[in-house]
Amino acid sequence: MSASVFNQNSEIKIKFCLGRAKYINITAIIVPMTSGNREDYLIEILRLTNGEGKVKNQELAERLNVSPASVSEMIKVLSNEGYVKYTKYVGAELTEKGLEYARQLRKKHDLMERFLTDVLDVDPVTAHEEAHRMEHAISDESAQRICRIIGSPDNEDCKLCDDYNPDEGGCRIDTKLSDMLPGETGKISHLRSETPAIIKRLISMGFVPGREVCMDSNISKVGPKVVSVGNATFALDSETAESVMVKKSDN
Amino acid sequence: MQDGMFTTALVGQPNVGKSSLFTRLTGVGVISSNYPGTTVEFEEAVIMRKGNKVRVYDLPGTYGMSGNSEDEKVVLEMVKNPDIDSVIVIADAANLQSSLVLCFEVMELGLPMILAVNKIDEAKKKFDTDFEALEKILDVPVVPVSARTSDGVDALADAVCEGRARISSFEVKYSDSVESMILSLAEQVTPARFGNFGTAVKLMEGTQSFIDYVDDDVAATAEKFRKELESSHEESADIMIARDRYSISDAIVRKIQSKTLTKMSKKDRISEIMITPITGIPILIGVMLSVFLAIIFIGNFLDELVEDLYVTLMGNTLADFGQSIGGDFGRVVFVGLDQSILAVLTLIIPYILVFYIILGILEDSGYLPRAVVLLDRVMHRFGLHGGAFIPMIVGLGCNVPAVMATRSIHSRREKLIVTTLIALCVPCSAQLAIIFGIVGNFSGIFYSFLILFIVLILMAVIGVLLNHFMTKEPSNLAMEIPELEVPSLKNVLFKTWDRIKDFFYIAFPLLVVGSILVQIALDYDLLDFIVDPLSFITVTMLGLPAVVVIAFLAGILRKEMAVVILATLLVSGDIGSLGAAMSPEQFFIFGLVMAIYMPCLATMAVIWQELGWKETLVIAAFSIGTAIAIGTMANLMITIF
Repeated sequence: MSASVFNQNSEIKIKFCLGRAKYINITAIIVPMTSGNREDYLIEILRLTNGEGKVKNQELAERLNVSPASVSEMIKVLSNEGYVKYTKYVGAELTEKGLEYARQLRKKHDLMERFLTDVLDVDPVTAHEEAHRMEHAISDESAQRICRIIGSPDNEDCKLCDDYNPDEGGCRIDTKLSDMLPGETGKISHLRSETPAIIKRLISMGFVPGREVCMDSNISKVGPKVVSVGNATFALDSETAESVMVKKSDN
Repeated sequence: MQDGMFTTALVGQPNVGKSSLFTRLTGVGVISSNYPGTTVEFEEAVIMRKGNKVRVYDLPGTYGMSGNSEDEKVVLEMVKNPDIDSVIVIADAANLQSSLVLCFEVMELGLPMILAVNKIDEAKKKFDTDFEALEKILDVPVVPVSARTSDGVDALADAVCEGRARISSFEVKYSDSVESMILSLAEQVTPARFGNFGTAVKLMEGTQSFIDYVDDDVAATAEKFRKELESSHEESADIMIARDRYSISDAIVRKIQSKTLTKMSKKDRISEIMITPITGIPILIGVMLSVFLAIIFIGNFLDELVEDLYVTLMGNTLADFGQSIGGDFGRVVFVGLDQSILAVLTLIIPYILVFYIILGILEDSGYLPRAVVLLDRVMHRFGLHGGAFIPMIVGLGCNVPAVMATRSIHSRREKLIVTTLIALCVPCSAQLAIIFGIVGNFSGIFYSFLILFIVLILMAVIGVLLNHFMTKEPSNLAMEIPELEVPSLKNVLFKTWDRIKDFFYIAFPLLVVGSILVQIALDYDLLDFIVDPLSFITVTMLGLPAVVVIAFLAGILRKEMAVVILATLLVSGDIGSLGAAMSPEQFFIFGLVMAIYMPCLATMAVIWQELGWKETLVIAAFSIGTAIAIGTMANLMITIF
């Protein structure tokens, strides 16, 4: 990694600290009551239901490793605050407000995990744990700033973001591999394609998130691209190359 | 164990040099080239060291143990076979990261293995590698080798024969969430050929052949786990697993290998010139033209040389010998024999020889994959991707390996299109010999190129039509481009011999017997019942002598038979030479029909095996119809003008 990227990293850290300070102000206004613990409940309900349907208290208790009694207590609180709707014997489901909030949290978690693994090279286990704590601490604005710098795959959770722009492929600053110019390098951030077979082939050939790629030759928009990943060189047609999203490194 | 013999298989990514290494290890020659996918079938041989015999299989290249394509399935099926006692994973020293990932997969499946790191001669120029450290980390024997220089091949053979392959204790550590799911799956899997952990990893990846292989409830759990992971990590399980594998393999490589030099080498610049259309297309056209010109001129030169030599050496020996043992009948038979030997030696062998030498050079240089890049866009119009170019070029040699090479193509639709194009429009070396040898000699080079041109147009038309009328399927180019290499003379000559030896062992005897039979049949008018009913096609439509139909029929057996039989049919007593027997235009039509019609029996057998009998019959019928139609049109044009 070049020196300039390293500088950026330290800058991120500073921003991150600023963001955290800001966060305290903001939370004081917006969500005065919800602690990190409550947020864990919301995010877990989202993960279990993916926004649709209900989840039983028992299930939540198992996932969060707490007693069913504390679950029902917390669900009551969340229900009073309007984040979840609770039906006796059936379970809890997220309200619109709760869904929106949980999505933001999940996005923050994913973003922080990505930041820790991809930029700071933290090992995945630690990253997951720390992201779990950071998701509660970071403000929307700081999260957005980090997202603008490191990029992240756009998904459902992104739609709530002010930066989200579906016409231009969301707020990601990832580039399609097919759009890279000859000589440009970068790190694969994620793969996306309607055709699972393409993803499977890309993985098997070593186009795996986290690896460095370099565009060797990209003659025309529709023509095949010659790309290096690791020490191997591949020819990919444009459709295949479009499935590889890259975070470009600045040279 | 197979027949009581310890058995091992070579597994590695495409183009890491498995086949070259196999040849070096066993002394049994298999074709190796510088492009991924040269081997589509497995080959076996036995090595013997210090009294231990070991059977070795050379398998097609595979990027992983998931069986994503047909040639990858061959590997998975082979390794699944309990007869395989151990696996030799072949890595590419210059691309260790990817090779190690394949190595992890084999380790996880719980197979005893040896890791052979190939191409160390190339890698040494770029960086130092600490193989001892690698051996310690991976906990399996690691043998650095170079198939090119034979370095380390003895050590590898010893390691194999001493049975040093072992099950590694190295474990890939996956991210917690994935790992816990894998472990929970592993408990549910019933122990089988592959280790539980490895099977569980494959289930988490969603590999179909493993899903089919386990109980339904285990498969259902795996499915549930995969969904769960994807929703909580916004990344599918197979990507997460691959990510972890690569980060571990990258870390290992960083530890044991000094940093790569990224200076652009001369090879890279030449490669760049080859794939940039402005420079690349003229190069491609130049290469193809010089292939054909070399076949014509060098082929012709050898042709005359051999003819002079043969006539000087043999004279009328055979005819006189025939006379002396069987009177006039004997003379007839032996003149036929004489003619067919001369036809094979002069009209077939020189042209085939030249072509195969050039093909060998092209294959080993690594030029072909670069032509693929250039041709990708054009080929999309035929519903193909550039990768189909390689089977087609191979088809210029022989259609049989060409049809087999279509296995590296992933979609059935594409296979069907490529196979049809190969069967109809790609003349094999025997057909090229007819086009350049016979047509070139008796009609002129202009006609040879006219035939090639017509075939090329036909290819475009059939390709576009097939693409238009067959249901669309995505066709994607994703192909590794190997480094350019200076071809080794030894390998080129070996391949040439391996590919033309059939002519001496199989075709020659067949030709000789065939031509004698035809000669006898001619003498006793036994062929009329075939010649007469078909004379409408031969004479009226194609404007050829009626007996030529026998040559066409013989060509179904093997293409070069047509030439020999033609010589036997037309060169009898009164007409002294083949050239005087038909007009230049007739030779042109003969060559044209020969170039298109009916694949030979061997080719039909592989098409049958690869695609099914219906497709084979349709292709055969279609090719006969097209050949007759085009031949008739050519005949009409010639008559009119």
